[in-house]
Amino acid sequence: MAEAIIPNLPTNLEGPRARWKYLDNILGRRGPFTDVDWVPGAAIIESLERAKLLVIGAGGLGCEILKNLALSGFKDIHVIDMDTIDVSNLNRQFLFRHADVGKYKAEVAAKFVEKRVKGVKITPYCGKIQDKDEEYYKQFAMIVCGLDSIEARRWINATLVGMVDENDEDSLKPLIDGGTEGFKGQARVILPTMTSCIECQLDMHAPRAAVPLCTLATIPRQPQHCIEWAHIIAWDEERKEITLDTDDPEHITWLFQKALKRAQEFNIPGVTYSMTQGVVKNIIPAIASTNAIVAASCCNEAFKIATSTNPFLGVPETDNYMMYTGDESVYTYTFQHMKKSDCPVCGEDNLSRPLQVDPNSTLQEFLDGLAERPEAQLKKPSIRSEQKSLYYQSPASLEEQTRPNLTKKLNELLENGEEVVISDPAFPTQFRYQLTFKG
Amino acid sequence: MKKIWSMKQKVAQEEAANVGPKKKRVTAAQLRVQKDLAELSLGSTMKTHFADPDDILNFKLTIDPDEGMYKGGRFEFDFKINQNFPHDPPKVKCTQKIYHPNIDLEGNVCLNILREDWKPVLNLNAAVVGLQANRSITEANIGMQFLFLEPNASDPLNKEAAEDLKGNREGFKRNVRVSLGGGTVRGQSFDRVLK
Amino acid sequence: MADLPPPVQGPTAKEKKYDRQLRLWGATGQMALESSHILLINSGPGVVGVETLKNLVLPGIGNFTIQDSAVVSEADLGVNFFLEEEHLGGFRAEHTCNLLKELNPDVQGSFITEPVESWLTQPDSLKPYTLILATAPIRPEILARLSAHAGASLIPIFYIHSVGFYSHFSIHLPPAFPIVDTHPDSETTSDLRLLKPWPELIQFAKEKTNALDTMAADDHGHIPYIAILLYHLEEWKKDHEGQVPQNYKEKTEFRTIVSKAARTNNPEGGEENYDEAVAAVLKSLNPPEPASAVKEIFKTPECVLVSRDSSSFWVIAHAIGLFYTKYGVLPVPGSVPDMKARSADYIQLQNVYKSKARKDVVEVLESVRFLERTADRKDPIDEKDVEAFCKNAAHIKLVRGRPFHVVQASETIEWGERAKSIAQNLTFPDSLVPLYIAFLAFDEFVATHDKDALGGAPKMPGETDAETDAEKVTGIAFKIADDLIKEAGTFVEEPDYSDLKTRTGEFVQELVRAGGAELHNIAALTGGLVSQEIIKAITEQYIPVDNTCVFDGVRSKTEVIRV
Repeated sequence: MAEAIIPNLPTNLEGPRARWKYLDNILGRRGPFTDVDWVPGAAIIESLERAKLLVIGAGGLGCEILKNLALSGFKDIHVIDMDTIDVSNLNRQFLFRHADVGKYKAEVAAKFVEKRVKGVKITPYCGKIQDKDEEYYKQFAMIVCGLDSIEARRWINATLVGMVDENDEDSLKPLIDGGTEGFKGQARVILPTMTSCIECQLDMHAPRAAVPLCTLATIPRQPQHCIEWAHIIAWDEERKEITLDTDDPEHITWLFQKALKRAQEFNIPGVTYSMTQGVVKNIIPAIASTNAIVAASCCNEAFKIATSTNPFLGVPETDNYMMYTGDESVYTYTFQHMKKSDCPVCGEDNLSRPLQVDPNSTLQEFLDGLAERPEAQLKKPSIRSEQKSLYYQSPASLEEQTRPNLTKKLNELLENGEEVVISDPAFPTQFRYQLTFKG
Repeated sequence: MKKIWSMKQKVAQEEAANVGPKKKRVTAAQLRVQKDLAELSLGSTMKTHFADPDDILNFKLTIDPDEGMYKGGRFEFDFKINQNFPHDPPKVKCTQKIYHPNIDLEGNVCLNILREDWKPVLNLNAAVVGLQANRSITEANIGMQFLFLEPNASDPLNKEAAEDLKGNREGFKRNVRVSLGGGTVRGQSFDRVLK
Repeated sequence: MADLPPPVQGPTAKEKKYDRQLRLWGATGQMALESSHILLINSGPGVVGVETLKNLVLPGIGNFTIQDSAVVSEADLGVNFFLEEEHLGGFRAEHTCNLLKELNPDVQGSFITEPVESWLTQPDSLKPYTLILATAPIRPEILARLSAHAGASLIPIFYIHSVGFYSHFSIHLPPAFPIVDTHPDSETTSDLRLLKPWPELIQFAKEKTNALDTMAADDHGHIPYIAILLYHLEEWKKDHEGQVPQNYKEKTEFRTIVSKAARTNNPEGGEENYDEAVAAVLKSLNPPEPASAVKEIFKTPECVLVSRDSSSFWVIAHAIGLFYTKYGVLPVPGSVPDMKARSADYIQLQNVYKSKARKDVVEVLESVRFLERTADRKDPIDEKDVEAFCKNAAHIKLVRGRPFHVVQASETIEWGERAKSIAQNLTFPDSLVPLYIAFLAFDEFVATHDKDALGGAPKMPGETDAETDAEKVTGIAFKIADDLIKEAGTFVEEPDYSDLKTRTGEFVQELVRAGGAELHNIAALTGGLVSQEIIKAITEQYIPVDNTCVFDGVRSKTEVIRV
């Protein structure tokens, strides 16, 4: 049953929590779906305020996410984005003004929300997520992503899955990911290694449709074919020495004129400047409404995870994915995307295991030892670390190049704590070990 | 599901100390390429070359056709794989200027599985060797190796070469021989690619 | 120094700013947005309405006005992004309006701080607005008044709740809300008329399949698949007494014939154009019959009786109805999907379709002009509108707007002809109808409770005593559910009935737990949904919610219910 507000929460309009009067109704009362042992009140508020969150992306979704988290009572938020503000962002990225064009998104967004919502600290980093290492990601309680790149999603996903240490509860970072395209979008929650990850869900992203090169070269039929031709073939033929910059209007104009001329040759109507830009930059339509919906859904889940005020998406064996479509009425499909056991990132068979090794043993000795391990029993192992190709059985040239490593000692080849991946044609899965040096 | 949240909030500790080595982790693309390399069957006519053996995402592939019109030549292709592999296909370019209906003078290759028919389930083997027998996976396919056995005159990248092939197969064969030796065909000079 | 002429007409500043949305609703949609004036009647914590406006100011509506007599309090600063500390004690309408205006210098904004009760008594107070947005809690008499105004002046009105983890909105659109540009999936739009080809198309197919057997390999591999299918259809008819393949079995048989006609003695071991032909058999060999919803539109009174005041939609619909009666098909849309073909052949084929489409447009246009004369309409309809209508005729949509429930104290809620279907939905385990009922019960509580018991601000359940209020609201909700089941003339058996009550009770408890509070996330999400629906209503593009949507932020699910 619902309970009255618990006494240690100030409910008047004065005290330090006056600003959070509305939020405190939820934080201070049990609901029909809260866990039996959940205790509303001060402890929950404290954990909300102490949770350090990372927001990846300060674009259409990111602006919304920062605003939402700040007004959900989070106090310590970091944000990463490498981009600067473009005029075409202003129709939805509401933390930016015309005067901000050219500045770093993360910086402007952080400053704006800090100014608007008193008491929240937002730390921007203007750069790539790949610049940061595990120690950096480890400081956060949760990561909320508003990205437009599949590559970046896969990177952070693999990083977070790899960070999970069975002996350290604190190494598990829930990942909340949103994405939009026009009137469509999705919000999902991933508990790395526990539930289906981004890599498991890769089939949810349709690869970009491509047209055969020969069609572009010989038998164009659509205005887009002429644009792609100008982009892929004509540019290299005529302006090879100049690196194509799709943000440079002169470059787009050149491509547009090339495409237009080609279209005229083939009597193909419909090439426009805007279409040229769209094809060359692979522009995805984006509007404020969809961003608002998807970002808020992500933050709603983040809030529930942080406070346990209600069940959240991503609890194992329950729904973890909300698909949204808004062009024909409003439709959501919320479901459980199943974890894939053969997922190259989080599949049970592919998870990195800790392994102690003698740093003075040779690579050959190490591999021979592996052949005897019950889970491996490898016949023709190939092995690498992130930095080095340690030994490859094939192709022949690579075998020759890596053969000298076999007689080298492990501490000459690896740093303590590095991960290695071993493949063997006899096994469908790969073996990953986190190698720590004995002694 | 309090378990994931009831974790104690770790304080200071990690911020101060631990400036230890950045733990390096093998990337998803590397994982996949490694797997694909193990499954690669090159036969006697193809060889790989890794300029930097530690970087398995970038390499060259040479093909020495042992039959057909291009026999006697050695053709070199540049493979560039990005971190979004296998979502994105490998980028393949011929490093030499050659006379071939399906390869243009810039080295672009018209091979369906490298572009419109690429799927993440396909592996490097598919790109390298081709899947001649398997039409269920790719609709109309011609593998790299296959390119030199059966140059395809319909939908070419090099129109002149295709017209020659269509119009006069014997003449085309002669042109191929000339081009392999570094000669000039239709006013274009080609790289010498004979072994 | 003479200025160099610009090499091409690049995008204007406005096109650059709005680029990502113009790719969705185009210049006409944008123009419609820019000529709108939206009124927000704000109340309660007042977040969802402001978040909605944020998503409308950004894409550039013309004008907005906020009516809100509340004064900014500390609590506002913890939930509303468009207020700052220095605004404490000031009018919420004024400050939210000013901060919203900062988002887009192209948008005009104004505010009204007079209490809604007295403001509404002024004559024509609602006249300037093209769309009204009202948020809960609101007195039923005021909501009824707004709803009546919207009904009479044929403007859309939205009514929104955002309470705790739940939200709801209902849309009252004009009784006839037709949409031409529904943006159907590109896969559903090709209408190739393979079973009803016209002479030019038949001629094209003949030309391209002439001497098929002896055709050079390269030519054979480039026959557009439409010509391949038309050729084989003719062959099939010869063996089937002039009939095309009739059923699934015959179509599969036909498909096999086409598939076998592909040449395989080539480097690729097959032909892409034949692959395309085979893949198209099942979906393209259907008679070009319009959907029943479209045929229904031709029979509506507005379509049948075109008058002087009829909107252009009905005049064109009538003309297309005549076309359909005459030919048994809709005008040809004229687009051809991309297919393996030589450039010139494809362009030629495209022109065969385009010319036919143009011919059909001309015929429809003639009827339109005739109707305009006989009905004595003043301004002639733009030919472009007729063309756009013909192109999308198979996908037009008519939404019949209807008033939403305005809960009056101790009045039974009526469900009308929707009772049966909603009562049935109520019993589904995943149904969100019980949540909608919880919101109705919430409104009834509001209608009968004041903050000061003097008829001042309405009081929301759970503001002070969640437990007692939850019991009250649960009682109201049970009664609404029982009345619905009764009106539907059905009976819910055990254990379904108990289960239904449990679910309803839980929704009510969670709703009352919030004590009328808005959670920023839920307000933002709902503001996203509502702004999207407003954009659809203003641009008359895409398909709007008909007519009620509820969101459950506990399970992250929505449901659309027609009430």
